Amino acid sequence: MAVQTLRRIDEFRIEIPETYAPGMKVPGLIYLDSALGAGLEERAIRQVANVAMLPGIIKASLAMPDIHMGYGFAIGGVAAFGQEDGVISPGGVGYDINCGVRLLRSGLKADTVVPRLRELLGVLYNEVPSGVGSKGKLRLEAGELEKVMSMGARWAAGKGMGGASDLERTESGGMMEGADPSLVSLKARERGHSQIGSLGSGNHFLEIQKVDEIYDEKSAARLGLFKGQVTVMIHTGSRGFGHQVCTDFLEVMERAVKKYGIVLPDRELACAPINSKEARDYLGAMRAAANYAWANRHAIMHWTREAFMKVLGVGPKDLGMEMVYDVAHNVAKMEEHLVEGRKMKLAVHRKGATRAFPPGHPELPAIYKETGQPVLVPGDMGRASFVLLGTQKAMEETWGSTCHGAGRLLSRHEAIRRARGRSIYRELEDRGIIVMSAGKQTLAEEMPDAYKDISNVVDVVHRAGLSTKVARLVPMGVVKG
Amino acid sequence: MNYETLDISGDAGIRASGGSLREAFEAAATGMYSLITDPDGVQEYRTIEVAARGESLEGLLVSFLNELVFHFDAYGFIGKRVDIKQMEMENTGRGSLKADVYGEQFDPVRHSRGLLIKAATYHGLVVEKKDGLWSLDVIFDI
Repeated sequence: MAVQTLRRIDEFRIEIPETYAPGMKVPGLIYLDSALGAGLEERAIRQVANVAMLPGIIKASLAMPDIHMGYGFAIGGVAAFGQEDGVISPGGVGYDINCGVRLLRSGLKADTVVPRLRELLGVLYNEVPSGVGSKGKLRLEAGELEKVMSMGARWAAGKGMGGASDLERTESGGMMEGADPSLVSLKARERGHSQIGSLGSGNHFLEIQKVDEIYDEKSAARLGLFKGQVTVMIHTGSRGFGHQVCTDFLEVMERAVKKYGIVLPDRELACAPINSKEARDYLGAMRAAANYAWANRHAIMHWTREAFMKVLGVGPKDLGMEMVYDVAHNVAKMEEHLVEGRKMKLAVHRKGATRAFPPGHPELPAIYKETGQPVLVPGDMGRASFVLLGTQKAMEETWGSTCHGAGRLLSRHEAIRRARGRSIYRELEDRGIIVMSAGKQTLAEEMPDAYKDISNVVDVVHRAGLSTKVARLVPMGVVKG
Repeated sequence: MNYETLDISGDAGIRASGGSLREAFEAAATGMYSLITDPDGVQEYRTIEVAARGESLEGLLVSFLNELVFHFDAYGFIGKRVDIKQMEMENTGRGSLKADVYGEQFDPVRHSRGLLIKAATYHGLVVEKKDGLWSLDVIFDI
């Protein structure tokens, strides 16, 4: 399986031809320039090819430039399936259902926050539970988890956390229709019950940032962003609730694969026909988990606003902490797309990929109808994160999708090895970044050198036209799990 | 215990071995706990009983480990020692087991914080017997 069998189509795309592996129904298409291409893992290529073997896949098995090896689907994978003969695969969503990113802007300038930064992070660290074995701060009353599952961020808003403009600025309005709590196992509920309102661990974070570069003045103004402004980014998902839903349904799908006689190259690709009970059940439970994640990010946003107001002694008006947007980057959605000029309803799986809808798309809220959908791409804790906008080209080429992050470069073990004898905490502080982390190990594993440079990833999607750069945000203070 | 960690891009795995399948499963479980926290800091204050079923040997291993992930994630139970009391494999390939797990309540202040395990996966899963020794590779989503 030599890499030379891959064909470079243009500066930004590599094709995995159908001849790469027997059983491929469509080609694979990876968005990568030659610099990032040098680090492309053989096993990730194989995973893109494996997805191309799934029943009913349309056009191509896609991957974004932050591609790396995942389970079943590669991280950065995007695939759409036809309603007639396609499948739904939990592996195309991932364990952390609706892992996503929320960006808050503020009326504050960075230099006014710097003197209070350490204090602010301390309060955020205490107010937002994080790390291995931590419990969420919300105590749900009997029956309330049902509402979280069916209403998502709307539930949180109903509890006095955030307002209507926050919901409008959340993908799917913070509530995915069609969630069915009755399909969620007792185990998922038990895990979810104690964790709502927590950040988690691993690559999840809460970051105070500063806008340090504007690429598109007009759009930045429309998004309410300006140079030197303080922003807050929240990266987390559905916690143990979503992980358990995925675990539960991988078992269901494993049986479905036998039942429907689906031949798979990898068990983690277990799937069922879109119109089967198994697929419908998974979607009902997955949507409940997606809603859980939106409620979770909504609650964390609320405590973030409170922490800022408390430490800086300002009211909501002066703080001006409004949402820019909230995106899901691990989710499957039924969406309308054009296939050879014909409108079709497709099941689009995005696993470590962000939706990037163009200006005028009917699913966008009125405020972003003209700009296109804001795309939020977090980087590692030492470099930067980006705000981009969705494009028509993404709609045509990648089912309205773009990258979701930097993508790992080093394994956790290798990162720890290279961090030995260094103080990552001090190194970041020397660069003006304060980090509070629940676990020392997490800090080493998540150090900047463990990731690809986000700027390179974002440049590829920008130059390939899948989304356009609006602003770069650099970290000032980070809370890690 | 007979386990070592596997170095996987982005995640973590365990290679466990044992003279019997039961021993190898026990080693995989304790190995998994060692990814979450330093096992030396865990005491055997409590015992929980867990059961697991699987459509295959691999399925049983994944389901067993995910049961332990569930008990940690939902209730904060961290194990130190695992005793599989009963393990049955049917001719159809299906299997089931019952185990006692000795450990305690995870305390973020007292226990070191390692990896947050989302699930045991089928990715790169290996269950094999070589020269009379069972060897298991399991990769966890982190």
